[in-house]
Amino acid sequence: MRGAADRGAWRLIAARDFWVRLRERSFLISTLLNVGVISVLILARASGGLGGGAPTFDLGVVGGPAVTSVANDAAALGHRGGVTVIVHPYSDQAAADAALRSGSVDAVMTGTQLYGLESVDQTLEALVQTSAHAAAVDAVFAKHHVPEAQREAASQTDPLALGALQPAPPDRQSNAGVAFIGVLLLYGQLFGYGLWVATGVIEEKASRIVEMLLSAIRPRQLLAGKIIGVGVLGLAQLITIAGFAICLAFATGARFQTSTAIWAALLVIGWFILGYAFYASLFAAAGSLVSRMEELQNVIVPINLTILVSFIISIGSLQDPNSTLAIVASILPVSSALAMPVRIVLGAATGWQIALSLTLLIGSAVALVPVGARLYAGAVLRTGSRVKLRDAWRAA
Amino acid sequence: MTGARLELEGITKRFGDLVAVDDLSLQLQPGEVFGFVGSNGAGKTTTMRVVLGTLTPDGGKVLWDGAPIGFEVRRRIGYMPEERGLYPKMRVLEQLIYLARLRGMPKAEARSSAEQLLATLEVVGDPGARVESLSLGNQQRVQLAAALVHRPELLVLDEPFSGLDPVGVDVLSGVLRTAAHDGAAVVFSSHQLELVERLCDAVVLIDQGRIAAQGTIEELRVSRARNLWQIRLRDVTSPWWEVIPGAAPLRRDDGVVVLELAPSTDPQRVLDVARSAGDVLSFGPVEPSLQELFREVVS
Repeated sequence: MRGAADRGAWRLIAARDFWVRLRERSFLISTLLNVGVISVLILARASGGLGGGAPTFDLGVVGGPAVTSVANDAAALGHRGGVTVIVHPYSDQAAADAALRSGSVDAVMTGTQLYGLESVDQTLEALVQTSAHAAAVDAVFAKHHVPEAQREAASQTDPLALGALQPAPPDRQSNAGVAFIGVLLLYGQLFGYGLWVATGVIEEKASRIVEMLLSAIRPRQLLAGKIIGVGVLGLAQLITIAGFAICLAFATGARFQTSTAIWAALLVIGWFILGYAFYASLFAAAGSLVSRMEELQNVIVPINLTILVSFIISIGSLQDPNSTLAIVASILPVSSALAMPVRIVLGAATGWQIALSLTLLIGSAVALVPVGARLYAGAVLRTGSRVKLRDAWRAA
Repeated sequence: MTGARLELEGITKRFGDLVAVDDLSLQLQPGEVFGFVGSNGAGKTTTMRVVLGTLTPDGGKVLWDGAPIGFEVRRRIGYMPEERGLYPKMRVLEQLIYLARLRGMPKAEARSSAEQLLATLEVVGDPGARVESLSLGNQQRVQLAAALVHRPELLVLDEPFSGLDPVGVDVLSGVLRTAAHDGAAVVFSSHQLELVERLCDAVVLIDQGRIAAQGTIEELRVSRARNLWQIRLRDVTSPWWEVIPGAAPLRRDDGVVVLELAPSTDPQRVLDVARSAGDVLSFGPVEPSLQELFREVVS
């Protein structure tokens, strides 16, 4: 007999799974879909649409020079604060309303009113109200012949100094965009590739080849090969998409910081590896419990829900990365793969939180591999009805 | 060579309350073709899976060349599971090479062995075709090739003949004979008993997880031999044998009768009585077929 060790058998399994999945149509579709969604998000940001960058308002004005003057003051005030207000004078209110309805202006201002189609943006309102108030005060001063020096003094009020106990990084707003894209990508990869592991297991069970395979290699090697093969493909796809996204962002001048985008990409890749390691053995164990593809949904519901809930919490933490829920979710291993990278990109995660989260996730991923492998080994040769978890555990 | 290649020592396997294999022992020599015969659920597949290591026995040992069988030996067993299984979408040649490599065969060797086998087994069709596109008979041959491709020293085949046409049966018989001739030990199960009889050097009859009989076909015949004689007379329907003490009719059919004789009864005396009753057309001992032995053992 040949003396070759069987240690390399998992590589054959991994290579096969990698190439088989790579050639599948669903791989091509998911790559194109990801690239498409990310292109839309980045292009939207590049054109300033998605809440990122400085806002621009179109303000319709109806009335005499006094009204136009207030609008121009509001525009000047806005300019100082990085907000662009473009003033569009209209001859009468009907024309202004028509412009509002058609969307060419965001709000209409008359001598007595400021109104929008449904509401008025708070920033725009503040600018207009402030300059209207200043104009009114000026008018009162003028009426009472208040000398220039006193007018100056009256407007020289010291504003309250603004501060924060935990100041958010100044670029959090733009980083939130990066984090959103990152977590969306991460969610798709973790779920999609976990599912592929499960379907791969069922395919081998349904085609009965698993008994051939297990007469040649150990269950743990078969499982490891499958998880690694599918995972490497997921990683390669992720790197491709991330590279594409960064190139596109630079090319279109989307308002991302270069370093943030690269850092976020690396984070997403790193947390994909960890999160995938955590979920994949669970997906494999779940897949091994059933014999037919139709039954797959039933057994993976708990894993799906876990990933989905983690994703929703992560999206929520884009707004408030320091909420208790966001912090807890970013530390617990069932959700940290999605929740932690968001908080890191937003600069909200502290060093100890990251360290604890990493330790727990790596630790539980390592602990889950033998658990998943045992369930897998105990269940994968049993065809027919769904195998109970307890039976699978005992059989191995 | 001396000593057994594969040895099973008191193998017992339970599934809950069911004892699938009960204290089963057997030995397999190199170059030997070994038939595994039993009803459905007798424990054949379970025993094979224990040999393969996909099932762990509750008791007993599997030995290879006298030492407990290890994973390195096991993974090079050529196995054909009862539940046929191949990747349906994988190409025939690619699949055979892959399975050979999983069992440790270098790629180039795997390729030449696979190509050679596809020719020997007369697999019709393009080696680059997907397995699912082949006819069932051809898929069956590819399955067999998957068991043989890494040139195993032990072949364990679960019902390898089921689903094969007569030509396929002949091809497979030839391949198993050749493998044994080249020194491999071959064990297979089958319900086609005349085939087992023709092909096997030794047979195990297994019933409800236990060995009911074991040995060469000849040994089985001798050990199970009942003193049976068949006599054909022309145009005689009367029970002429009733005058012979120690002769009991087993079957009678249109002038032919099979008698079981007590050890003390001389067959020549039976012939004498028969001749006095009419024209004897034929007279001779009855050798039970494996099928008859099997029926007798199982009943």
